[in-house]
Amino acid sequence: MKWHRLAAVMVKESRDVLRDPITVAVALLMPLIMLFLFGYAISLDVDDVAFGALDLDQTPRSRALVDRFARSGYFSLVGEYRSDREVEGALQDNSAKLILVIPPGFTRTMARGEAAPVQVLVDGTYSATANLILGYAKAIVAGFAPPVAPGGVSLEPRVWYNPSLSSVTFVVPGLFGVILMAFPPLLTALAISREKETGSIQQIFASPLTAAEFLAGKLIPYGIIAFAQIVMVMAVGFAWFGVPLRGSLALLVAVGLVYVFCTVGIGLLVSMVTRSQLVAMLLALIVTMMPSFLFSGFLFPIFTMPYFLQLYTRVFPARYFVDLSRGIVLKGAALPDLWPTILLLLAYTVAIFALAVWRFRKKVA
Amino acid sequence: MRRRLIGLLAKEMIQFLRDRLMLVLILWLYTVEVVICALALSFEVEDMPIAIVDLDRSAASRALVERFIVGESFALVGRPDSVAQAASWLQAGRARIALVIPDGLQHDLARGEPATVQLLLDGTNSNIAAQARSNALGIVAGFNASQNGAGVTAAGRAVPVTRVWYNSNQSYTPFVVLSMIGLAALMVGMIHPAASIVREKEHGTIEQLRVTPISTWELLVAKTMPTVLIGLVSVFPSLLIVWWFGVPLRGSLFVFLLLTGLFLVSAVALGVLVSAFSATLQQALLVSFFILFPMMFLSGTLAPVESMPDVLQALSLASPLRHYMDILLGMFLKGTSIDVLWPQAGALIVIGVGLFCIAAIVFRRTGV
Repeated sequence: MKWHRLAAVMVKESRDVLRDPITVAVALLMPLIMLFLFGYAISLDVDDVAFGALDLDQTPRSRALVDRFARSGYFSLVGEYRSDREVEGALQDNSAKLILVIPPGFTRTMARGEAAPVQVLVDGTYSATANLILGYAKAIVAGFAPPVAPGGVSLEPRVWYNPSLSSVTFVVPGLFGVILMAFPPLLTALAISREKETGSIQQIFASPLTAAEFLAGKLIPYGIIAFAQIVMVMAVGFAWFGVPLRGSLALLVAVGLVYVFCTVGIGLLVSMVTRSQLVAMLLALIVTMMPSFLFSGFLFPIFTMPYFLQLYTRVFPARYFVDLSRGIVLKGAALPDLWPTILLLLAYTVAIFALAVWRFRKKVA
Repeated sequence: MRRRLIGLLAKEMIQFLRDRLMLVLILWLYTVEVVICALALSFEVEDMPIAIVDLDRSAASRALVERFIVGESFALVGRPDSVAQAASWLQAGRARIALVIPDGLQHDLARGEPATVQLLLDGTNSNIAAQARSNALGIVAGFNASQNGAGVTAAGRAVPVTRVWYNSNQSYTPFVVLSMIGLAALMVGMIHPAASIVREKEHGTIEQLRVTPISTWELLVAKTMPTVLIGLVSVFPSLLIVWWFGVPLRGSLFVFLLLTGLFLVSAVALGVLVSAFSATLQQALLVSFFILFPMMFLSGTLAPVESMPDVLQALSLASPLRHYMDILLGMFLKGTSIDVLWPQAGALIVIGVGLFCIAAIVFRRTGV
């Protein structure tokens, strides 16, 4: 590998990137936009759920139950209905997510010392939140008249690592993995498939550049952009969103660096198997962005997936990095806990590069 | 005019179908990706790895443990000897939750005194932790009821009878399947026309089209029609998958296809607009990505629109995907008919026509 040739490719590639303001803007703005989107807009927390009541009992006791819902902090009353038809209409047009139906004779049944059923109707279209809404509603109804039975077991739940159960704290460290998987591979894949599409790659083949020089020269500028993205995203995550950093920053950055190499390598591989930029982008979407989003444990827990799909999630490196990032940031985990995952990530990265260089060599030869 | 249009359309159609890898990728998005997501993604807490520390080792504690293990919510990964060991399991991610039963549980219960068991939760995933907590509370409540005999605890209490509408088995599957269809249509619908127009710009062939009598409108229609057609055809395998997952189309097929067509037109219009502003393919693809990304996640495909801040809720009204999601969820889950969905259909028309007009104006200005 000759350094001056490597430097020449790097300089050419950097100029190419910097000359195109749109590329620079997308590379630098997009991660921040994603961070703010997920920090503020997409929340799976449940509060102020619109609920309506169909109170067929109309007694002080039944009104107290409705009131209890309204004051719980989880629900806000949007309407009191008179008939089943109105209830159905409210669920249909989305004005209420939960309806509390108190049957006639509610107070009398309770006074007789019997169990008085109360109906809770939940809109299950978004089952992510429907489960939570249901849980809160059950707790409110069950706690309405505390059981008089003596003794009994009480549960004392303690939440570790994220005691306030805030979704920002859980989303941001995971987002590091998603952002680094979404952009660096896409930029790399486009950079190389562009040369293929315009045919300028033939000139590269004809030049004395070796495969390693060409690839390294292409990748280093994108690696630097990706690293700038990590630093930016982490700075905003910790400083602006107040996510606590419990582990070592150096370890997080080091692991991040390995991961960036890995993602850039995937972009390289994508560009090796495609011929046009459009197809390269579609393929990049399918092998990098969607899995990092859906199958990395970023939002959807992996343990609920069927076993063979749990194996499928292991195919994508985002899963390892999300684990590492959450471990370091939220749990304060260090090397003794993390080395198996780090080793896997390293092995993955090496394999990706070996594969890409091998495919490229075959083309050149 | 009609001959010109047909000729141009035929050329575009051939170009589209020639790229085999792309067709495979599109088909993948509409079928395999949908199936994988439907099988894998769920917010329900099932089989959460639990570690149980039983320091009491009595009949009562075993009965409580039994209740935790038997249900679907938790899966036992082991019984650590001490709380410290359970803590290290949580740290390493081997368990997500730990139940600690202190010594003396049976003793306290026998004397009718309150007893406390501890639940340690890994809160890194807040949503999961909150659900696990309420599941555990339910299990303990059931345990108490069985210990006291049903008659005593139920006395004079309000009992919740819950019913979930539209999605009675509380599954995330129908929702995932439907939103994947919307996402696939948006991605392909937007990226493809943008790329095919900008490619002509980049190769300079657009100059040749300009000297022919083809008008801007004809060009735009010819460039976008194949995408809309392929989009409509690809919906059918997805419909089969949806049906296979037990989410039948409750409205009419014709109305569904019509509304899907409208959605595709507005997605395609977005792509045309992007192409009007970009000079190179790389720019066009990156800008599409830039627009696609927030749109994909602000349109109720992942989290409900209602839980977003007001400004973003208002902004999401401009997103065709948001209206299409309402239509999909309405037609498949709620059985809503067109007389309820007409505002969404109207919004799609307004967005699609508006974007097309802006794009056409920009095209004329910049000289095709």
